[in-house]
Amino acid sequence: MNNKDQMLRDIGIVGFTVTELALYLDTHPHDRNAIEYFNHYNRIKTQLEKEFSKKYFPIRVDLAESNQEWRWGAAPLPWEGVCG
Amino acid sequence: MQEFRLDEHSEQFPVAMAYVPWQRFEGIYEDLEKAYCIGTIFPELNKPFTGGRCV
Repeated sequence: MNNKDQMLRDIGIVGFTVTELALYLDTHPHDRNAIEYFNHYNRIKTQLEKEFSKKYFPIRVDLAESNQEWRWGAAPLPWEGVCG
Repeated sequence: MQEFRLDEHSEQFPVAMAYVPWQRFEGIYEDLEKAYCIGTIFPELNKPFTGGRCV
């Protein structure tokens, strides 16, 4: 698996973790420990997404900010057979 | 959320009502890729269906 796909997979995995923690926090809003876990993994997710979007292509339009050219259309389209 | 020992208080519960013990945060799986494949980051929620009885 090349670096791009591995990074995309890592974003998926850390995103899953953040979602799981958010679901737990929905029913346990005062759990400081869980909040710290959420903050930790959410920061990692945000950082990975920014890094990926700069290096390859923006995965969300709010990550498409650029001082060179507009790259929002650079992502491969789903029917172009790139997705695994 | 006070801790409830089901057996000690079972006679107080009306019948035909479901009781779900409250989840407590015990930490998460170290290996997030494994957790991703299992489908939860919480070990206590990892309950694979074994085709007969619940684990």
